[in-house]
Amino acid sequence: MNLIVRHGEREEKVGIRRDGDLYEVTVDEHTWHVDAAKAGPGLRSLLVDGAQHEVAAAPCADGYWVSTHDGAGQVSVTDPLTHLASQNQGGKAGKRRQKITAYMPGRVVEILAEEGQAVTTGQGVVVLEAMKMQNEIRAEHDGTITRMHVQPGQAVEGGDPLFEMD
Amino acid sequence: MTEPTPTPDRNPGSLPDRKPIRKILIANRGEIAVRVIRACRELGIRSAVIYSEPDRLGLPVLLADEAYPIGPAPSRESYLRAETIVQLAVEIGADAIHPGYGFLSERAGFARLCRDAGVTFIGPSPEAIDAMGSKVESRRLMIDAGVPVVPGGRDPLPELEAAEAAAASIGYPVMLKAAAGGGGKGMRRIDSAGEFASAYRAARSEAGASFGDDSVYLEKYIVEPRHVEIQVLGDLHGRVVSLGERECSLQRRHQKVVEEAPSPVVDADLRRRMGEAAVRAASAVGYSNAGTCEFLLAKDGQFYFLEMNTRLQVEHPVTELVTGLDLVHWQIKVAEGEPLAPELEGIQPRGHAVEVRLYAEDPFQRFAPSPGRITLLRWPEGPGIRNDAGVYEGSEVSIHYDPMLAKLIVWAVDRPTALNRLRRALAEIRIEGIRTTIPLFQALLADADFLSGNMDIAMLDRKLEDGQLHPPAPADGTEDLPLIAAAIEHYERANRTAAGSPNAPSLRSRWGATARGEALRKSS
Repeated sequence: MNLIVRHGEREEKVGIRRDGDLYEVTVDEHTWHVDAAKAGPGLRSLLVDGAQHEVAAAPCADGYWVSTHDGAGQVSVTDPLTHLASQNQGGKAGKRRQKITAYMPGRVVEILAEEGQAVTTGQGVVVLEAMKMQNEIRAEHDGTITRMHVQPGQAVEGGDPLFEMD
Repeated sequence: MTEPTPTPDRNPGSLPDRKPIRKILIANRGEIAVRVIRACRELGIRSAVIYSEPDRLGLPVLLADEAYPIGPAPSRESYLRAETIVQLAVEIGADAIHPGYGFLSERAGFARLCRDAGVTFIGPSPEAIDAMGSKVESRRLMIDAGVPVVPGGRDPLPELEAAEAAAASIGYPVMLKAAAGGGGKGMRRIDSAGEFASAYRAARSEAGASFGDDSVYLEKYIVEPRHVEIQVLGDLHGRVVSLGERECSLQRRHQKVVEEAPSPVVDADLRRRMGEAAVRAASAVGYSNAGTCEFLLAKDGQFYFLEMNTRLQVEHPVTELVTGLDLVHWQIKVAEGEPLAPELEGIQPRGHAVEVRLYAEDPFQRFAPSPGRITLLRWPEGPGIRNDAGVYEGSEVSIHYDPMLAKLIVWAVDRPTALNRLRRALAEIRIEGIRTTIPLFQALLADADFLSGNMDIAMLDRKLEDGQLHPPAPADGTEDLPLIAAAIEHYERANRTAAGSPNAPSLRSRWGATARGEALRKSS
């Protein structure tokens, strides 16, 4: 699983895979071997190459709220492969009229649906490239694309509108 | 220490009979109710609490001997129902009411209701509460009693010449304040005589424009003062003692955040002089029970009386830890009529204690309240740790009341050791489900000014405003830890969802997504 993880000023591509009882987590080209044992709800004891860290991670609006012994902070996690438009719409789930925004800075690679086109849940609408990974922004529900804000090749900032749908 | 001062409204010749207290009604909630319950149990006194609807399962109810519903959530309809509470005390046969802090604790009318009903109010007399409750009267009383107050006066100064003369006699810097003012409007600091005339005119016109009243008065401007307060204890026989100071300069918007005893800048001589002033202040109003005189301490060592809190303070545990006394025990004993023990005179602090107030507030979101259910809770333990909490794992932190969860207090042989212990204790806390102010304390424990004891009452607001407080740098090699933890949590959640939650996308659509993703990656 490849993730885009942001913490404070840092933005990293993080690779994670399970290797038997251990996790292999690659951050910025360094691979950590992590024994992660659950110690309570959301609480884990991580053994990272011999060092022990008690860490809590609880889901929050834009990722996880992570507390260590030294402090706490938000870590946002984006999974480009399962990224649905609903995750960045800002409004309540179930709201039908949506403006879908870019979840992070990137470049529009391809437009898969045009204005006025009917789309079904999960159908790809815009392909965004960020952190050298391509991410398909998909429709969260059946509906119609009412407005397309971007075109191929365009650079976008996090929060910029991509398209709107009803 | 001064001679015990006989008070006019008491007759020191005939000691009132000791009236033992067997049951106390605690007119409060949260950690302070728990604190009083503990003292009751230790003294063999039955404890009764009141609770509002959302507090039915609060920690005080679970620990008390008796509990009585008092009304719905709003304080006005529950914890502030003075008459109902006194009536309840009578009905259940409580000999005394402990008001805690906040709520009814400083309402003279409540103390009077208790007295009229023959229920002991564990606190000072209504007359003492009244006298200290009025800023104007208490200032006059303090001047008469020889307690230093901030030089200046409330009398309006309509003439420039008279105002200039007053400023010169107070000594610069001075502060011009609008008589009708507030919130910093119409306040002007003047550093020298040369600036006075133009500042005076500007302050008056600003006051006139803002409040429709251009009268102004003068006060000495104390540059970057500290907040240092003296704990006093008085008995019913006219004796008042000082139990030393607490340093409470770290405040956010006038709310204390960290308190310690002793103050890093108060030596034995200053402690004695401040203690004597506090005893004079308390004696001037015939004070009994526990109380606190708050002072501004200027950089030159001068101190000025601010006000007296006529109740037990939130931060009383730091005094308890450095004196070895139990202030709530003493509150109850003096309310029963027991005279203060002679050994309380001239008590000196031993070691160093620091308290932090843990609030359900998010320091990363401008201290927005963070109500909710505490899903995971582990408090620190081990040497030198005291934790006065009002919540437990599973508690619901409600939006109705003060968001303080607990007071973590550490004691150690000296200040640096105490601060290291505090850092250790904060690291041990695990609290999930709500946000807390723990990261603020961790940032303070990395701040050079706080660590060196260099503080004033505006420092914390200044540092927060200027973004000068930072989380401690992660230890070498742990920079990636939050990323690793979040990635693992995300991975496990994704797999859990995939493995059969009804909300999980169907296998078919996940395959579709994966295939699509693979195709995308190949094409890039």
